[in-house]
Amino acid sequence: MSTRPILRPAAALLAAALLLTGCAGYDATVVPSAAPETSGSGGGDTTEPCENDGSQLASYAPRAEAANSADVEAIRARGRLVAGVAADTELLAARDARTGEIVGFDIDLVDAIAAAIFGVPQKQGSKYVELKVITAAERFTSLQEGSVDVVVRNTTINCTRWQLVAFSAEYYPAGQKVLVGTDAGIESIEDLADKRICAPSGTTSIENIQQIQPDAVPVTAGDNSECMIKFQAGEADGVSTDDTVLAGLAAQDPYAEVLDTEQLTAEPYGVGVNAQQTDLVRFVNGVLEDYVADGRWKQSYDTWLRPTLGVDVAPPTPVYGR
Amino acid sequence: MSQTASAPPPPAVQPGPAGPVASRAHAPERDVTEDTPRLLNRLQVVAVTVCLVFAVLAAVVQVLAFRADGRAADNTEQVVRVQEVRSLLLRADAIATTGFLVGGLEPADQRAAYDAAIDDVLGLLTDAADAQPADRAVLGDLNRAVSAYTTAVAQARDLNRQQLVIAIAYLNQAGSILREQALPAVDALVSANSARATDEMGGHHPSWLLGLALLALVGLWWTNRALAVRFHRRLNVGLLAAAGVVAVVAILGAANAGARASSNADTRDGPYRTAVDEAAARSAANDAKAAEALGLVNRGSGAVYEENAFDPAAAVVEENASPITLNAWRQYVEQHDVVRQRDDRGSWDRAVELATSEADDAPSALLAEVDATAAQVTEENAALATDGFSGGGALTLGLALLTLLGGLAAAGAATWGVNQRRREYA
Repeated sequence: MSTRPILRPAAALLAAALLLTGCAGYDATVVPSAAPETSGSGGGDTTEPCENDGSQLASYAPRAEAANSADVEAIRARGRLVAGVAADTELLAARDARTGEIVGFDIDLVDAIAAAIFGVPQKQGSKYVELKVITAAERFTSLQEGSVDVVVRNTTINCTRWQLVAFSAEYYPAGQKVLVGTDAGIESIEDLADKRICAPSGTTSIENIQQIQPDAVPVTAGDNSECMIKFQAGEADGVSTDDTVLAGLAAQDPYAEVLDTEQLTAEPYGVGVNAQQTDLVRFVNGVLEDYVADGRWKQSYDTWLRPTLGVDVAPPTPVYGR
Repeated sequence: MSQTASAPPPPAVQPGPAGPVASRAHAPERDVTEDTPRLLNRLQVVAVTVCLVFAVLAAVVQVLAFRADGRAADNTEQVVRVQEVRSLLLRADAIATTGFLVGGLEPADQRAAYDAAIDDVLGLLTDAADAQPADRAVLGDLNRAVSAYTTAVAQARDLNRQQLVIAIAYLNQAGSILREQALPAVDALVSANSARATDEMGGHHPSWLLGLALLALVGLWWTNRALAVRFHRRLNVGLLAAAGVVAVVAILGAANAGARASSNADTRDGPYRTAVDEAAARSAANDAKAAEALGLVNRGSGAVYEENAFDPAAAVVEENASPITLNAWRQYVEQHDVVRQRDDRGSWDRAVELATSEADDAPSALLAEVDATAAQVTEENAALATDGFSGGGALTLGLALLTLLGGLAAAGAATWGVNQRRREYA
């Protein structure tokens, strides 16, 4: 018998085998898509819906005896006022890289409160202050837990927050404005049509802009600073948030300015205090009256905010009635 | 039995009756009336085919195993390579974030260390793309993410040097790019290549070789039995020899495959696992140091970074680090705890002072020791793993060749054995 008929399929088998042992290709590597973040309520939110009809600005009227109340005496006994502040909001509260100190409009007010508690001049007030840098989310919990005496961290007074903490009278009438490029040709709210305006996601700033200029294109970011990065990267034509925050951002960018318009919303800033410490609130309100009356408020405003905002702002008139 | 025993007279060739009815009627007698030369031819074809198919398939199994070993070694190198990328990226981030704390006065050697880490990353990405085509798309994305990260770090540095607060946002953005874009890509590469390496480690199948041999032996036994029925000889020497060759090469191949499978399992559970775990610990240690620095950069958020970033990273180190690295890590943690205590008590400046200190017993130097130790352990074990997977390849290939030659010899023996019967018939 000839083996030739066998060799042919054998050769084919060998060829198939060689093919089989050839290069093995793998499926392309794939990056799994990120799981969507669950948006929890944050937990522990016990506030009730309410309406900001102006009554939220009413605080506790100053009383002379508040200076010797248990709330204030406890701070004196400790030897320092513990204040919750920011450290990354230029002009309001930010670290001066040259001195290492946290300085700004909010910090001047903290020093004034401490000076009044310990009976020293304003300039020495900082010696009696322990600044505790807190995040925005910690503003109310830190007061509720008692880890700070006051919170002076560009905090808007509203009726919802009154359910969590107490507030002083308004110490600065902030409001939403828009930051734009100096050479962008944007002079008014009307010019924002078809412009990309960035605001932190989850805030009402974008809605406010769209109500006033429906043709503006909303852009969102994690926070105000991220909006500023988008603006500097050309991914947004403007940033909209509190004018005080915008002033701080504009101060760090010579090609940015805060648009000189009416405030789109009112964001009245107040000093936060534990809801049970109403005597401390009364004391702080007394300090605020003196702070405005003797010109320290205007001096602080002229130092920190006016150079960038470019407008004169009158100190708010306190409202009491609680 | 002996081939020399007298053979019975071969059955006469009896042409079968014509017509389908007659065929059906004489069906039980078909084997008696079959054409013996054609039957011998068919049996010879069966025996030779059995031997050749066994030889080719058994050789293929062994060559595939050899190639799987090589790919296991290559995939291990790729796993280590992309884990090195991960470690270096986080090392660079730890250096950048710690350097940020000293403003524009970042020490030159720290800047050089950051640059060197990024340069190494870019080189490794090129090597990785050359090594594994299936990774190229993800590596391209990773390369873009690394570029975006380094750009954000450079902007943060420039703005920090100008003492602008917005620099913190750029540094945070760099960290987000790193952790939300770059590291997921690296993790996908680690995962894919780990799976490939693990799959290839199981490329040796002694049971397959024994199974193929068993089938071949059954085929040869059947052939022998068919011959025995016709020629009244119980065994055919040629077929017996063929069966012997098949059995021997199968046993040799299976023994080698078993030894290699065992060796691969030892390598997988030993140096490979150590290298992978140690690299994970090294990455996590640098991630923890970056979290320490970011907790200080973002004043007031130290506790948040500690809980959300440092603690999970520390757990990874504790779980994966080798004893020598773990010892170095715990020394670092002692100093890290001091940093946190100072910051938590309001002494931010003193916390920064310790976190950025260049002293030998400060956190930065201790973390550098962790990084260096882990890198060495990883490198040593990765080399052992690669050698372990690729070792023994020559023997496997030699046995595959022997199997092929043995199969050919078995086919020849089977041919010779059937030809003996053919001569007897003639």
